[in-house]
Amino acid sequence: MTDETIRSTGGDVHRLLDEAFLGIEMTADAQDLKEEVRVNLLARIAELAAGGHSPDDAAVRALEELGDIRELLGASAAATATVPQGWAEAVERHRVRIKPSSVVGAGIAALAAAVGLVVALLGASRALPLPVGVLFPLIGIGATGVAWIVGEALARETTTKHPMPIKRTSGYFFATLLAAYGLGVGGLIALHAIPLWATALAALGVVAGLVLFAILGATQTNRRKAWVRMMRRGRPRLTRRFADEPEVAVRFGIYTTVTWAVAFAGFVMLGATIGWAWSWLCLLGGFVVMMLTIARMLFRSI
Amino acid sequence: MNPTSVTTPHGDGRAFAADLLRGHTDTIVLGILRGGDNYGYEIHKAIRDAAGGDHEIKEATLYATYRRLQRDGLVESYWGDETQGGRRKYYRITDAGQAVFHNNVAAWVATRRIIDSLLGARDPMEGHGQ
Repeated sequence: MTDETIRSTGGDVHRLLDEAFLGIEMTADAQDLKEEVRVNLLARIAELAAGGHSPDDAAVRALEELGDIRELLGASAAATATVPQGWAEAVERHRVRIKPSSVVGAGIAALAAAVGLVVALLGASRALPLPVGVLFPLIGIGATGVAWIVGEALARETTTKHPMPIKRTSGYFFATLLAAYGLGVGGLIALHAIPLWATALAALGVVAGLVLFAILGATQTNRRKAWVRMMRRGRPRLTRRFADEPEVAVRFGIYTTVTWAVAFAGFVMLGATIGWAWSWLCLLGGFVVMMLTIARMLFRSI
Repeated sequence: MNPTSVTTPHGDGRAFAADLLRGHTDTIVLGILRGGDNYGYEIHKAIRDAAGGDHEIKEATLYATYRRLQRDGLVESYWGDETQGGRRKYYRITDAGQAVFHNNVAAWVATRRIIDSLLGARDPMEGHGQ
């Protein structure tokens, strides 16, 4: 066996070992084990080759003798207690308990949302004699409750995700608040509780909320926990162009803002001229354009 | 010399011997290390040569054994200073390892005597081995 064949077989062994160690967290300990196994395998391959086996045959036999590589890694994991085996064990080991305070907070927010929206609904449908001026703050209370639940859920650490930074959480809070408020006002209009001109207010809220959501979604990066990413490795990967290329995300933000500015201007203009019954189509058009833009940008055609 | 290498004329004996051998992997590794510091390939080779032919103890099992012995303080390891083809990881038996080895050998000898008398077996190597 020449130096050349040893080297090429060594390359194969290294590649096979890389595959066997794929998905194992490369701690100093795992790195040591890999190096140890590699050197011993090379020695065995050289011995087999000297005994008359072809280099390829020697490599195959040496790997067979090594035994179940998974068993070896499993033993290593048990010894070092760093790599969990299987989803259930991993979840058990990394479980994050929910704080009582966040449960109480979500409960109060849910109550506020329900009370605000139900009372506003009763007022709007004339079941309760409420002045129109009270309906807006009631919708506000309901929307705040919904937004709080969304923001709190994102800010909370769970078993599978890190807590979201507070600034980004606030962004989602305001986006939800605006969208929910807009929808709530839209509901009041639908019940004929408030005049039709308020449609502009409702649409402004919904559009601002959607734009904010779009920007937040486009600039989102993948921060899932390392152990979750490890367990999911090998599954088809979702495209992450916005995370990989920030300038594309910025471009998307500009497109979105322009799209919605145009859609909103068209909505107000058509509402004032043709009528509010049809002007909402502008907003739908804006939404369709935004979704198509997302799809095309993610798949790299623009 | 190696009592467990005794097999029946039929193939079935091999599986039985392999099971017995695997049950004593820790002691066997400690025994090899008593002859001097050694690394994975040579340790495996020593076992292969003694067991003859088939590989009763897989290398993967041995790596698990080294880690267990290290954790229990029966052996310690260090990296060799070879320059060609990567560094070897050597194992050295500790005093605690020596003590455990002697205990295990005494237990084995006692067990072998009991099993021999119960099975009415007579080791053909008796009187030559040890």
